[in-house]
This record gives sequence, structure tokens and C-alpha cells, in this order.
Amino acid sequence: MAERYLVEPDVDFIKEVTALGGGDVKKCFQCATCSVVCPISPDNKPFPRKEMIAASWGLKDKLVNNLDIWLCHQCGDCSTMCPRGAKPGDVLAAVRSYAITEYATPKCVAKAVNNPKKLPLLIGIPAIIFAVLAYVTSMFSESLSHGTPSDIIAHTNFISTWFVDLVFIPLTIWIIAVFGLGLKRFVKDMHENAVLEGKTDKKDFELVGFLKAFGKIIVPVLKHEKFTECTENKDRATPHMMVLYSFIGLFIVTNIFFVALYILHMPGPYSQMNPVKWLANISGVALIIGGALMIKNRLARKDQVSSYKDWYLIGLVLGLGLTGMLAEMTRLGGIAWLSYFVYYVHLILVFNLFAFLPFSKMAHLVYRLVAMAYAEYGNRGFNS
Amino acid sequence: MDKKYGVYICTGCGIVKTHPCLCGKEGVEFLKKEIADEGVNTLVIAACSRRVNFDVFRFDGCIVDRVNLREQVVWSHPRTKYPAPTEEQKDDETFIDHVQMMAEDYVKMGMAKVEKIDLPEPYQLENFSRKILVIGGGITGVSAAIEAAKVGYEVTIVEKEGTLGGYASKIRKQMPVEDPYENLISPVIDGKIKELDAYPNISVKTGAVVARIAGQPGDFTVTFKKPGDKIEFDVPFPVPPEKKVDENGKELDADQIYEIYLEMNKGRQDILALDPNGESFGAVILAAGWRPADITGEEYAHLGIDESSDVVTNHQFEEIAAKGKIIRPSDGKEAKSVVFIQSPGKGEDDADFDYCGAVTSLVSLKQAKYVCEDYDDGKSYIFYQHMRTPGLQENFYKSIQQTDGIFLTKGEVCNVSKSDDGLVVEADNTLLGEKIKVKADMVVLAAGMVPATADDPVVNLAYRQGPAFRDIGLFNGYSDSNFICFPYETQRTGIYAAGAVRRSMTIEESMEDATGAALKAIQCLESTNRGVSVHPRSGDMTFPDFFFQRCTQCKRCTEECPFGALDDDEKGTPKLNPTRCRRCGTCMGACPERIINFADYNIDSIGSMVKAIGVPSEDDYDEPPLRILALVCENDAYPALDILGMNRLQYSANVRVIPVRCLGSVNVIWIKDALAQGLDGIFLLGCKHGDDYQCHFIKGSELAEIRMQKIGDALSSLALESERVQMFEVAIDEYDKLPNMIDSFVEEIEGLGPNPFKGF
Repeated sequence: MAERYLVEPDVDFIKEVTALGGGDVKKCFQCATCSVVCPISPDNKPFPRKEMIAASWGLKDKLVNNLDIWLCHQCGDCSTMCPRGAKPGDVLAAVRSYAITEYATPKCVAKAVNNPKKLPLLIGIPAIIFAVLAYVTSMFSESLSHGTPSDIIAHTNFISTWFVDLVFIPLTIWIIAVFGLGLKRFVKDMHENAVLEGKTDKKDFELVGFLKAFGKIIVPVLKHEKFTECTENKDRATPHMMVLYSFIGLFIVTNIFFVALYILHMPGPYSQMNPVKWLANISGVALIIGGALMIKNRLARKDQVSSYKDWYLIGLVLGLGLTGMLAEMTRLGGIAWLSYFVYYVHLILVFNLFAFLPFSKMAHLVYRLVAMAYAEYGNRGFNS
Repeated sequence: MDKKYGVYICTGCGIVKTHPCLCGKEGVEFLKKEIADEGVNTLVIAACSRRVNFDVFRFDGCIVDRVNLREQVVWSHPRTKYPAPTEEQKDDETFIDHVQMMAEDYVKMGMAKVEKIDLPEPYQLENFSRKILVIGGGITGVSAAIEAAKVGYEVTIVEKEGTLGGYASKIRKQMPVEDPYENLISPVIDGKIKELDAYPNISVKTGAVVARIAGQPGDFTVTFKKPGDKIEFDVPFPVPPEKKVDENGKELDADQIYEIYLEMNKGRQDILALDPNGESFGAVILAAGWRPADITGEEYAHLGIDESSDVVTNHQFEEIAAKGKIIRPSDGKEAKSVVFIQSPGKGEDDADFDYCGAVTSLVSLKQAKYVCEDYDDGKSYIFYQHMRTPGLQENFYKSIQQTDGIFLTKGEVCNVSKSDDGLVVEADNTLLGEKIKVKADMVVLAAGMVPATADDPVVNLAYRQGPAFRDIGLFNGYSDSNFICFPYETQRTGIYAAGAVRRSMTIEESMEDATGAALKAIQCLESTNRGVSVHPRSGDMTFPDFFFQRCTQCKRCTEECPFGALDDDEKGTPKLNPTRCRRCGTCMGACPERIINFADYNIDSIGSMVKAIGVPSEDDYDEPPLRILALVCENDAYPALDILGMNRLQYSANVRVIPVRCLGSVNVIWIKDALAQGLDGIFLLGCKHGDDYQCHFIKGSELAEIRMQKIGDALSSLALESERVQMFEVAIDEYDKLPNMIDSFVEEIEGLGPNPFKGF
């Protein structure tokens, strides 16, 4: 017989979930319509009914480590069908946001990301860093050049690429470290919770099998198979896909140019005829369109909660696309001061997206992927 | 009266001849002309059912009987099945025209009936009081008094406590009573009591109770006393059945029982003695309220009520809350975590505590809110099997649910135990999982509301059947006759119950209930004043008439009357109180001497109708058709038969229907006479009895069943099969079941063969 579970509600947790956009959670009266209408919930221990009562009782220990909150794609069918307006979709989004904070170190950064009052600070830090770097670049322009002529408009002449990479390479290591620490705890907790609640048939966690599961889920994820099973928010799948693919495209471009610069010693700016540049431009355009569509969809949906965490991320996405493309266009157009300014803003936005990746809503990229892989590995019945 | 008869047959609606449409303007004019010019005063109208056009065919000062040719003959026995004779067949003596025979029988029965009945005259009380007595000065009583006073009636409230207000004045807050039905409000009772001042026609007696209510509606004599006093007009109690037999189980005779009665009630006046100092009232509203139920005993041991003083009932919790912040009874510490238990739980049984209802669900929500109001970090847990929040109280539920510190789940509470610093509540099968436990400072059990009438008669009626409402084993001590069909009506005419004596209810519901009961009391006064029946036969002017010379003082009528309308004197001679009577005729059915009759409904009138049924014998036909008598209750069964006709369903043409007021009014003499006359079978069709009884007179169909069982034994001694007399129950909407019910009975009788007494 299982140990009797001691219920210890955490009222502060309820307040946090409310602040993160799950304020209707207490309206739930446990009819389980949500679990019935959810197109992607498994038959065994379906969600989100049980998550709803756990959240309304403030049972943090049943939620942050819960694999199922990540299986939800917030398609919104449950919120639409909910007879009490408890918005399970938004509650789960709020709980996910809380879970990201919970697994991130240091916590103060996570809290700052979700706090609109801290936005000036988040913008200010990179703004100062890049302003200093721009100043330094202007002082030592000759010796910092990779061979880019100093008389043409090139962003490296404004802020040296050396400096930019000197900022982002340590950031990358920092991100990986933060995610690593978080995921280690997350996977352990998630497995324990799954075993306790009978959501997996695996008693002992086995890393190799778990890693193999990533291979099985990658194609469905790229195809947004789960996303398109939703009916209510189907229109969200396309912009999401556009943004995801553009990030992948830009990731590839960045890496190629990194190799080109430091290994092949081919400094930019590169020709617009270069196929890599094509990829960059297509991705940039996709990012802008995707971001704009996301904003449009969110504004059109009055019944869905959009909180600060959502706007912060979408704002970053659209801002990144716009400043990126604008910086390029003004460069080609020959307006040096404008191009440099836009590039400066672009760098601040990239810093925000990058540095706070494990703390913002963007972290879902990692947690959801891991949870889906675990679901595949643990036979949650999610993909069948 | 000298009767001048007129028989009118309507040919409208596809019936045979004489007037094309009696219910039309011309038809009614024609009938009026007959009455005015020809002096007709006794009409038999052979047309549609008596249940339709009753207002059209009402002619003042005339006896009118309606022969139901439409629903009962033509519509339910179509020519397609029972063809009319062809030209050749008309002379054929062996041809049986079932429909024609049926119609002829019914017309003959109608004519036989009007011959035996008289126009009723209203019963007028000598002393009529229009005052209303309200027993109980709580929210229900005060509301009822205001409602009745508003429309001009004089009202007296009698309250046993020193002040008005009752339970409603002892609480911290109450559930909302008006839109938006969301938040707790201050008790409304204070405002209601202030409102009383505006009505000079309301008087209040506090610190008093009813010692006895004697007499009948319109003329009650009420004696008041201080609670606990013993006075000569305290109501006497009847001798309980166990004292009516001696040590050997032999029944004592009437004199011996009377001796016991006097011995039991020493110092008290008999019910027939009137208190010269008593006050007169016309009707009574019973709003005596409730007391909190006790939760003790082995059954609830697992809830820790005996183990810890921190396990309390909702009532005790309210007392704590009314005093100030919620603190633990054991040590006075702040109670910041409180578990509310709605159902005793334990295994499969999901019943709530006794005498619970929606109100206890709502009270738990209310009290849960207290904890969060008193403490910012307060937590309330509600474990329920049923969360009932009817009507707009749903809004209240929704608003309480929004409190962060209130947690609700369905679940079976299996154990409450003490821990280091407080209590631990364990529950199974909750919405959170199979087995959970919660730490608590206090546990609150949802005890129910026991009606005052469960402990004490309260009304103390000076009635021969006893001072309380009869316990028929269905109402759990609640004062009621049939909660669904006849709200507010108790089993005693003129006494109307409201509020928590009727079921557990909220203050809002009690106020609404009070209005209903006040209206009923007014209906009673006004009907009584006009000398007509109050309910359910509203407006009926007849009442039972006794031919006392032949009375054998058997007391059956007194004992069997469902409404205690009859008191008997020391010899056992019944004394009728006509305004208590509901005109069901149960006394008429009970009387072995057949001395109880109504002006328009009596032993002779029904007996004559039975005799008017033609019984074809072997002299008439080689294979004479059977004749079955149906005595049909006119409350639900007869309408069901009409609906059957309207839906063109069919049943055997060998059946002849006679409507009766209630199966309780069926006298066995009719059965005996019918069988002696050669009828082959008899069935009674009435309302359902038992737990979900639908009998309009509470006991009628049940009594009939007992009587029919007894007659079965008598039939056997005459070598007649007891199956020839049967009783069926039907609900008003079960018309579709009737054809099969009737036809199988007819088939069964066919199997038994014709009545051997036929032709004698």
C-alpha cells in the first residue's frame, strides 16, 4: 500500500500561479471536461484535471516536477470547453513558467525575468556592456579588425566582432551550465514523480535509453505533430514553426560565419549572393513574420490570458527579427549611424534572449523537449 | 328536492345523437333554456370527460352528471375494432355491439347516480375566527407573520424563548439572500424583527408555548402556557397500541382502554373539554424550527468526536465564530487550519449526516470563509460526498471557491486522530489521489438540523388520534404530508408548516417557505369561511353525514381518517369536525354499517351505478361477454384513463369504469354487491403507496389494499377465486401502461371463467 500523502497547501504558490496568468485556477470544480477534450492527453492518468486540483490546492510538489505540464502544448481546447472558465491551458502555462524559475539557478535572475519592474535592468546591463565595447572599438579600431576595411560600413567597425564573441561565448557556457544543473534535478524529480503516480513503466532510470528517445521525437517535434492536433489554437502552429525554423536557420548561419571568420579567416560583410546569406535573410524574414503573427493571434484572443512573460518573449522575437533585418538594410543603404544604432539595439536584444534563456519562457524549448523524450522513454502513451 | 331529469347526448366529437355540439355557445344556450323553460334541474350530459368543460357545464342549483362517452367509450374503443352492425346484422340477435352496450351502460349508470344524489349545502361554523397563530418566532415565524399581516390578517406569534429571533440571531454571518448571491452578509433577522413594529395587527407572546389546540380550522381554541408548566389544559395523549392489550396479548375492551386513558392523563382535561380562557384562531402556521443534531456514538467514533474537544459540530463552530476569532476549544490557540467534514464517509456509504441537506453544504462554505477572514494564512478544507448549492447559491459557491485558502474535494473521510499539536484527518478516494491526510487545528462535522417536531408534538392538538402529526414512517419527524405535491400542508388541515420543521433549509429558503405557508393559512381561512373544502378537493361543499342511530361505536372511522377529522366521545361515538375534513371518504369506505355518506357521493349512489351495469347472461347470448367493474381513483388514475383515450389507446370493452374520490372511500359492500350481481371481476385503480406514495389522501390506496386482502379471504369462503378482485397502482403519467394492465386482468378473469353467481 502506498504511503498516505500529506497534503500541505502552499497559498503563496497559488498567488504566484495567479500572478503568472493562472488566476482562474480556483474556479475549477473538477468535472474533468478538460481531460476529456484534450487532444493530446494520454488515456492513462490524463491531464490537466489532476494538475488543476493540485494547482488550486497549492501543491507545488505535485506540479513543478510533473512531466505532464510539459506535454501540454497550450492549444487551448480545454480552456474553451471549460464550463467554469478556469482556463486550464493558461494555468498550466503559469505552472510551467513557475517550474522554469524553480529549476533555474540563480533564482534571482529568474525572478527578474518575470518581473516587469526589472526590465530596465535587463536592458540596461547589456546596453552598458555594448556601449563600453563600442567605445573601446572606436579607440582601437585598427588592431581589432579581422581584416575588414575600416572605411566601409561594417558592424565590426562599430563594435568589434572579437568583443561580441567575447561576450556571447562565455554566455553560451553559462547557459549550458545553468541548463545542465537544472535538467539534472528536473529529470530526477520528473522520474520520481512519474514512478510515484504510475505514469511510467520504468522503475529505474536509464540514461542511454532516455537519450535514444530524443531520436524518436525529433521528427514529430519539427513537424509540430502535437501542435496541429489542437483545434482551438491551430493558427498558433504556423507562426511557432516559422519562429522555430528561423532560429534554427540563424543558429546555422552564425556557426558557419563563426567558422568562416576564425578558421577560414574570411571576414564579413559577406556578399548577398552567398547562399549562407540567403539562409540568413530568409530566416530573418520568417522571424519577423512569425513574431508579428504571434502578436496578432494573442491580441485577437480575448479569452486567453497573456501575461508579461508572454509579451517579453514575443517582444524579443519580433525585436530581434526587425533590428537584425534593419541593421542589414541600413548598412546596405549606406546610413552608417542608423545602421550602427540598430545593430546596438539588436545586440541588447540578443543578449536578453541568450543570457536569460534558461530563465524565461524560452526555456520551454529545452524542458519540453526533455519531457517529451522522457514520455517517449517512459511509455507515457503520449506519442501513441 | 323534486328532481326534473334531462339527459343530453352530444353528437360533437363523433358521438351519436341529439345535439351537435353541447359545449358550444348554442349547446349551452339550449341547456339553459331547458333549465329555465322546462324546469329541468338534474342533468345527465353524455359527452366528454368530466375533467374537461367542467366550467361550461356548471349550472347553479342543478345536479349535473357527466357521462364520459368520448374518452371512455368512443376514443378508446374505435369502430375499427368493434364494428357497428351491418344492415343484416341489425336483426341478428347473436350479434354483440360492444360499443353500443358500453355507451348504454354508462348512460344508465349516470341516470342511476343522479337519482341518488342531492345538491350539497355548505357547512357554516357558528364561531369563525380569522386570526392566524404562528408557532415559533424565528426567521420563518417572523416572516410568515409579516406576510400574513401585510394582507390584513391578524396574527399572533408565540415564541418559547424570551426574545424573538431564534437561531438566525445567534450566528456571525449568513448566506446571501439576494442578488448577486456572492458574499456573506450580516443576519437579516434583526431587520425583520424591526419590520414587525410597522404592523399593529401582529401581537407577540414570548416565553410561551402552546398547551393545546382544540377545535377545528376556523374555530381553534388555543391554550398557552409557560414552557415547563403543568396545567389542566395540557393535551392528553391517546393510549398507545401496546397498552391496548393485556399480558396475554388479548385485546382489552373499550371500557378498559378508556380507564387506562384516564389513568395516563390524570390532571388533564379530555380533548373535548374546551378551555373557557382559550384564545380563538382560524389557522396555524407551524414554524417551530430545529435543533442541531447530536453526532455521537459508535457510528462516528472514527471522526474523533469523543477523543478531542477540537472536533466540533458546525453548530458549535458557529457559536465560537459568533463570539470572535476562531480559536481551538482545547487550548484557546488560533485555529488556522480547519477541516470541514460533510459526510461520515467509511467505505461505500456516501450518505451525509442525518438531517443534512443543501444548507449544510452552504454552511460549510460559509464557515470555511470565517477562517480565511480571521487569519490571512488561514486554511479551510472541505471534504464532501455531496456539495449541494441549489439555485443562485451557485454564485455563493463560486465566490467562496475563489478564496486562495479554501480547498475542496470529494472524498471518504476514514479517520480523524490526534497528533503532536492538533489533529490529522485521513481521507480516501479524493480528487487529489487515493489516500491523503491533512493536518488540522480543528475539525468541524456537518451535523444536520433536527426538526422540532421530531422531539415534541409542538402543536399539541386536542385530537383523538393524538397531539402530533401521525408518524407514517416516511417523514423522519418532519411535518409534512407530501413534500412534492402538497408543500406546507401537514396531515392536519388548518396547520401549515414552514421552515426547518419541513426540511433542513437556509434562512433564504425559510423566508420563502414562510410566504407559502402564510398563503396556505389564508386559503384555509377563506375556504372555511365559505363552507367549502380547503385542499386537495378545493371548493368541495360536501362533508360526511353520519346516520348515528345505526352507529355501533366501532371507532374505525375515527382511527382510519388520515386527517384526524373525527373525535369520539367516551362511548366511542364519532364527532365530526367538518372543517378538518378533506372529503376523501375514507370514513365512508371504512364504515361497516355504511352510515357515512356525502350528499353527492354515497354508498347508495355508487351501489346503484354498479347495479345499472347490464350483465349479459347465457339467456341473452351463447357466449355472453364478461363484465368487469373498475373503481378508479379520480385523482390520478381517472385522468390517466382520459389521457389513454386522448392518445387513442385501447382496452377491453368489457370494462365499466366508476370514478371514486379515493380508493380509501371504496366500501366493500360495493364489491360484494357487484359479485352477487354477476360481474365477473373487479379491479381498483389508484395511486401508488409506500415510500414514494402519491396518494392524495396519504393512506387511501394503502387502506384499500388491506381491505381488498381481507375481502379476498371472504371470497374464498364463497368458493369464488380471490383473483377476481385486485388492485393496481398507477401514476398519472403511466397512461401507456394501462391497456396492458387492464387487458391482462380481463384475460385472467376470462381464464377463471364467468362468475358462477351470474343469472341468479
